[in-house]
Amino acid sequence: MSMLQYLKNTVRSRSIHVAYVNVGSCNGCDIEILACLSPRYDIEQYGIYVHNNPREADVLLITGAFSSQWEDKLKPLWDKIPHPKVAVAIGNCPISGCVFNRPETLVDPPVSKHIPIAAEIPGCPPRPTEIISTILSLAPIIFKDYEETKK
Amino acid sequence: MLSFIYYIREFLRPKWITTFFTARTPPLTTPPYFRDFPELTDKECTHCLACMMICPAPEAIIVTQHEGVWRPEITKGHCIRCGLCIEACPEDVLASGRILAYKKEEELTLQGTFHIEINQSTCMGCGNCSVACPVNREIDPALRSSGTSTSDEVIMRIDTGQNKVLHEEKCTGCKTCEDNCSNKAIRVARVVEALQGGEE
Ligand code: SF4
Ligand code: SF4
Ligand code: SF4
Ligand code: SF4
Repeated sequence: MSMLQYLKNTVRSRSIHVAYVNVGSCNGCDIEILACLSPRYDIEQYGIYVHNNPREADVLLITGAFSSQWEDKLKPLWDKIPHPKVAVAIGNCPISGCVFNRPETLVDPPVSKHIPIAAEIPGCPPRPTEIISTILSLAPIIFKDYEETKK
Repeated sequence: MLSFIYYIREFLRPKWITTFFTARTPPLTTPPYFRDFPELTDKECTHCLACMMICPAPEAIIVTQHEGVWRPEITKGHCIRCGLCIEACPEDVLASGRILAYKKEEELTLQGTFHIEINQSTCMGCGNCSVACPVNREIDPALRSSGTSTSDEVIMRIDTGQNKVLHEEKCTGCKTCEDNCSNKAIRVARVVEALQGGEE
C-alpha cells in the first residue's frame, strides 16, 4: 500500500460526509437521523458530518417510500455524488413501503429499483444507534483502499 | 493576562488532551426494555392467526408450518415494531422488551369486532356483496340458488333497492364483500378494544 493510500484511508475513516434525502416519508425516520446529531449520540465524534450537499457527500441516507415526484430526481441526485459513494436506506419505507404500501397509493418502493442501495436499516423508525453503527460498519468496507480495489 | 495563563495550563493537562481527541459518549448500546422485533418464546403456537389479524403493517407477519409445527414469522423491513401481535397472541408465543411483563400485569386482552360501512351514494343495490358473503350463504341457503334472500338473520341484504346491514355482529371480517363490490362501496373495518384487568 502506498503512503498516499494510507493517508487517504486515515483521513476517510475520520471524515464521512452525509447527505440525506426524504423521498416521501412520514418524517419519523428523519427525526431519528436528527437525533443522531444530538449530544446524546453525537455522530460528529465519529467523524461523520451532515452537509446535505450531494457534491460533498460520501453517504446518501434515503428515507421514504418513493413518491412519484422523485421519479426523475433521485437518479440525477445520486449521479452528482462523487465516488466513492454509498446509499443507505433508512427505515421500512425504502425497503417495502411500510404502512403506505397499500392498494391505490402512489408510492413505488423499493428504492433499490432506482439507485443501488448498499445497506438497509429496517425499523419504523430505526434507533439512532442502529443508524450510526450501520454507517460506521459500512464505511471501512466502501472507503478503505478504494483506489486499489476499484480496478 | 492571568486568565490567559490559566487557559494554557488547563489545555495542557494530559487528561484534557486525551479526552479532547478521543471523546466518546457511552458506547452504542440498546437498553433491555427496547421494543425490538418480536422474538419467539418456547411456547406453542396454536395457529389461531390473532397475530396476523391485528398487524397493521402489510406483509409483516405470517404464520407458517415447519415440520408440523406452526410458528409466526416476522419480516424485517415490513414490521414496524408496534408490538400488537405480542399483545394479541393468547399463547404468549412472541416476546419483545417489557410487553409480555405488562401484558401479564395488566391482564391485557384484545377483542375485535367488525364494522360494515356502505356508501349509499355509490352502492347501486346490486347485492353482489350479500350473495358473496360466506356467512350469509351459511345462514340462508336460498341465497346460493336464487341469489335473493328474505331472511332477517343474514348480515346484510338488499331491501327496496338499498343495501341494509342487519346483523353486523355476525361478520367475520373476511372482506369477500369488498372484493366483490364493483363500486368499492362497501368497507369492512376492524374495531379493536383493549381490555384491562381481565374484564369481559
Ligand atoms: S419507516 Fe416508518 S418512521 Fe420511517 S418514514 Fe416510513 S413510516 Fe415513517
Ligand atoms: S410488531 Fe406490529 S408490525 Fe410487527 S409483526 Fe407484530 S403486529 Fe405486525
Ligand atoms: S403466534 Fe399466537 S396469535 Fe399468532 S397464530 Fe400463533 S398462537 Fe395465534
Ligand atoms: S367481511 Fe366477510 S363476513 Fe363480513 S360481511 Fe363481508 S363477506 Fe360477509
